[in-house]
Amino acid sequence: MVFLCKELHTMKGQEEMFDIISTKGREEVWSDFRNCFDSELAEEFLQSLLTLMQIMFVLNHQYRRNINKFNGRYQFRSEDGEVTIGVCFANKRMKVVEGIIDNPHITITFRNGRTLLDFIISPRQDILGSMLKHDVRTEGNLNYLYKFGFMAKQLQLMIPQPG
Amino acid sequence: MTSITLDDIGLKDFTLQTLPRLKELRSQYFSRRPEICIERARYITKYLRYHDNASDSPEIRQAKKVSYFLHRKSAQFHDRNLIAGSTTSKALGAPLFPEFFALTLWPELETVSDRKKNPQKLTHEEATELNLDIFPFWMDKNVLELTRTRFSNPKCLQLFENLVFFIAAKAGCISHAVPAYSFMLEHGLSGMIAMAAEREEALAAATDKKERQQADFFRAVQISLQGIIAHATQLADEAEHLARVTNNSEDAAELIEMAAICRRVPAGPATTFREAINAIWICQVGIHAENINMAMSPGRLDQILYPYYRRDIAEGRLDIARAIELTGCLWLKIADNVTMVPEASEELFGGAGTVPAITIGGVDANGEDAVNDLTYIMLRVTELLTIRDPNVNARYDYEKNSSAYCRRLAEATLNTKSVPAFFNDKANITALTGQGETLEHARDYAVIGCVELASSGRDYPASSSIMMNLAAPLEMALFQGKRPITGEEQIGPVTPDPSELASFEDFWQVFKTQLDWLIEQAIQLNDYMGAVHQEMMPSPLLSALFIGPMDKGKDLIQGGALYNSSGATHIAFADVVDSLNAIEQTVFVEKKYTFNDLLEQVRNNFSGLEGEKVRLYLQNHTPKYGTEAPIARKNSRNLVQHLFNLYQSHTNYRGGPYRPSYWTMTNHAGLGGISGALPHGRKAGKVFSSGMTPVSGAAPELTACLNAVAELGGELVPGCWALNIKYTPEADVTTMSEYFAQTIEAYFRAGGQQVQFNIMTYKMLLDAKKHPENYPELMVRVSGYSAYFKDLNEMMKDELITRTQYGLTDGQAVPLPPLQ
Repeated sequence: MVFLCKELHTMKGQEEMFDIISTKGREEVWSDFRNCFDSELAEEFLQSLLTLMQIMFVLNHQYRRNINKFNGRYQFRSEDGEVTIGVCFANKRMKVVEGIIDNPHITITFRNGRTLLDFIISPRQDILGSMLKHDVRTEGNLNYLYKFGFMAKQLQLMIPQPG
Repeated sequence: MTSITLDDIGLKDFTLQTLPRLKELRSQYFSRRPEICIERARYITKYLRYHDNASDSPEIRQAKKVSYFLHRKSAQFHDRNLIAGSTTSKALGAPLFPEFFALTLWPELETVSDRKKNPQKLTHEEATELNLDIFPFWMDKNVLELTRTRFSNPKCLQLFENLVFFIAAKAGCISHAVPAYSFMLEHGLSGMIAMAAEREEALAAATDKKERQQADFFRAVQISLQGIIAHATQLADEAEHLARVTNNSEDAAELIEMAAICRRVPAGPATTFREAINAIWICQVGIHAENINMAMSPGRLDQILYPYYRRDIAEGRLDIARAIELTGCLWLKIADNVTMVPEASEELFGGAGTVPAITIGGVDANGEDAVNDLTYIMLRVTELLTIRDPNVNARYDYEKNSSAYCRRLAEATLNTKSVPAFFNDKANITALTGQGETLEHARDYAVIGCVELASSGRDYPASSSIMMNLAAPLEMALFQGKRPITGEEQIGPVTPDPSELASFEDFWQVFKTQLDWLIEQAIQLNDYMGAVHQEMMPSPLLSALFIGPMDKGKDLIQGGALYNSSGATHIAFADVVDSLNAIEQTVFVEKKYTFNDLLEQVRNNFSGLEGEKVRLYLQNHTPKYGTEAPIARKNSRNLVQHLFNLYQSHTNYRGGPYRPSYWTMTNHAGLGGISGALPHGRKAGKVFSSGMTPVSGAAPELTACLNAVAELGGELVPGCWALNIKYTPEADVTTMSEYFAQTIEAYFRAGGQQVQFNIMTYKMLLDAKKHPENYPELMVRVSGYSAYFKDLNEMMKDELITRTQYGLTDGQAVPLPPLQ
């Protein structure tokens, strides 16, 4: 899966988003996300989550309310250096960039995709357990993580049931 | 000196059958499910967003904020309780304090109502309000984030956020206090407001900065107390309204009486037992509006309320049944709130209550027997209700209190299987006078929360400021300043490789180097957070209910109390002592293993056949804390002495000392679960021992165990400890009560400060774990507080199951059955 390195809520961003949705089909996007909960696909969890978040901010008015007045900068990094992603919320927009961002409110360093999934969104979310086991380390304001966790959890609850 | 007038101190004629109101309220209590209450979060956010004046002093800002809430707090009458007022808008509420950790709930706003473990109900509308309106306001404004910003994300804060070294409780509260309610009952809040106004007036012309601050403080006191009176008025209004609309004349009469009481107290002085009880409760509600309910303890209620009880009894306004009923109503009110616990924290704090402590018995300020009729009434109520909160603690002076009293305490413990906890007046008064408290003040100590000691209304001990994981510095000593769980990161100072050390004394020095460094980090963070509390969370309302602040013109958080200290408690004490014993014995005395051998086994978690062989040797053939082994006695004494010296050499942000203590709540389970193997044969991930209790299975003889713990008591443990003992229930309760009381007395005479019991067997607890539906009300002592067994996390349940079980008659440990 490729990251959407662009801003939403611009016409261009929205058009590309709709392209993705029409190309893959909305069902398939949800399916990618749902499949992350299977262990073999956990590595792609962050990518799936951010993609779906971007889509839902465009499509779902209720969900978009989460970022109406929100400024937040997140840095996600895998311990092995394979993944370095910045996520910025500002002016009712969500931007995802590959690489290091300036002045993140919080940096989340995770051992692997599975540990990140367990940390943020698994059915038995285990933020504290992940931190105690040092599967995930954070630096910065945890309140931003809690908000992100809520937005991720909302997506999880929106997953259409198969059939 | 007081005298007992009861014919039967057991009050056995009074049961839930003869007290139908208490039976009904108790039944309702157990049927309620916790609901999250957002009322306080809503109004204080609104106040700060739209009305706050940043140019006001911190005390006035806080007073206005709290008063704004109290003026708007809903008046609720959820049931037929005779006491008006509730801490939250829900029948069993979990209030949110966004100044602290409320935002940890954010990720589960949509799921907390239905989560598997300890769900807390939250409506969709409330969740939406929290998500979109309340929580966003607090993103950068809670104590933790203000500390991070103000002190540039210091190393000590990062260590705390690692969670595996120490817990800095100020991020979640200070609370932990016992107010002085007698003055309030005598003068009423209106009288106290008048005093504060007079003192403010006297400073009206002051230009000196300190005097201006004092004037601001007195102003803040008035604003805060007026908030409580406003809420009492709302309660009266609502009671009158309900009386008008009800069709039941009996209910209407009760509501009218409650309304009349709320119009009289706490604004005016209390004149009856019932007024005194309701005045105290409404003030507790006010305290909860200002500070989160973590161990906000009402204190020595049998002493405070006794004059009102005695007068009412003498004048025929009250009988024993009504006194029991009113006391029971207060107990159930105190139990009307729980802590909001995010699912993620269940591992550490699952099942914990809010631990408001009530203290009964002991001696008075003159050192004479203070046990009175009300002591026994409170004991009977505790026995009849057997509910988690309040946490009832019994003081016992083996020279002044009667043996009948001790036997009655024993009997109540056998009947409830877990409460009350026992506190030794001799040792605890010594501990407090050792801290510079006058003898009269020390004699008036009450228990806070789990086990901590405070002279009632004079001591602001912030007793849970630091929770230090002692296993962390031990591992850092073994691995040159690193811990296996934090990998290659250099945490503490680089100390010598243990394998190069020539003696146990050298290793002890290395351990102390790491321990001292870590404690200094924790103290540094506590002082940083204290400075943030001074700006953000003063307590003018609570201060008004203390002795000291009104004389000094200074808030508690600025050092207004007579005695100012910060408490530091310790996790894994017994495991660390036993590890030191094992190192000393096997590496340096017997030379059975080299330090390298031992380290290798610890690193490998005693894996393989050889590892298991070594582990069994360490577990079964090294000196254990809780026995008479000289090495174990020496190491436990040295550790307690060292911690005392270290803490006492530091002065906190309020100008007081740090006081060590030994209680663990459920942290010994959570932190044990993530800690590596230790040299005494404990494998990685196993729970630590609780409080001051020897490691499970390590102390086979009860007498030796109690003596080994008791000899550490007194001046060196000013914050007290929690010792957990499990007894096999025996058929002959009378004989068992006798043995029980004798054992308590012997332990106290040897110096033991505190002990608490679970009267249950391995088998019963195993069954309760397997079939929780059969034990819905099973209450157990954890480490300083009570919990319902079914609410505890799995690790904590296992810890309770495996705690050493002793036969009281033969004083021997019962073998632990094979665990499936």
